[in-house]
Amino acid sequence: MNTDIEDKNKVAFVVTTPPNYNLTTTAINLIKEAVNNSYHVLGVFFYQQGVLNASKALSIPSDEFQTISQWLSIKNEFKVPLYLCATAAEKHGLLSDEAESLSGQLIYSEFDLTGLGSLVELSSEADKVIQL
Amino acid sequence: MSQNQIAIINSRAPFSSSHAKDALDIALLFGSYEQNVSLFFLGDGVFQLTEQQLPELISQKDFIKTFSALPFYDIENIYVSSECLAERNLSHSIAVADVKVVVRENFANALSNCNQSFHF
Repeated sequence: MNTDIEDKNKVAFVVTTPPNYNLTTTAINLIKEAVNNSYHVLGVFFYQQGVLNASKALSIPSDEFQTISQWLSIKNEFKVPLYLCATAAEKHGLLSDEAESLSGQLIYSEFDLTGLGSLVELSSEADKVIQL
Repeated sequence: MSQNQIAIINSRAPFSSSHAKDALDIALLFGSYEQNVSLFFLGDGVFQLTEQQLPELISQKDFIKTFSALPFYDIENIYVSSECLAERNLSHSIAVADVKVVVRENFANALSNCNQSFHF
């Protein structure tokens, strides 16, 4: 309707913390609130230990915050793209064999394997970049 | 692509974690996409710029050498907090050429000219 306002509300997120950090939980809550409040969330870029959020090998005790299923819902229900830095993924054991990762054995298919170039693209498109 | 002013803020020592290297990787990437990047060093981040480091003694790769490549990526604005250097007795130990050692107020002003920041 009013594209001027929408254009000023483009945000991108950078997640550098692993699933068990509260900063990751804060990022998840912030992203959902942003989408619910008509911000256009261009995407989430996972860097450093943040890439562990894509790992299929992690299991979180059922009485704790389910970080990983929250990310899957951010992608599937909130339609926010999740970009995984391939170099960081490799350093964190998620990409020992690219074919293995791409076939979804190590990382959830909701995450797109990319390079740092994706971060540059997100940064240039966004009005605000949020790193917690 | 719109031209953002990107700040990469370094506040950690170089070799105890991968933050410094991860920050440098991002700086070079933004530089290679011809984005305007400035580097900021404060707190223990100023240790990244000091001379005569021998990281191989602690089995670390010497990525500090890469700082000398920054001009080739058009990264020319490198700000270092003079107070943070003085607090660590490093005022005369900077090994990287052409950095701007500035007092807190000028450091803050340079940072406020940037509209995006990444912190490591």
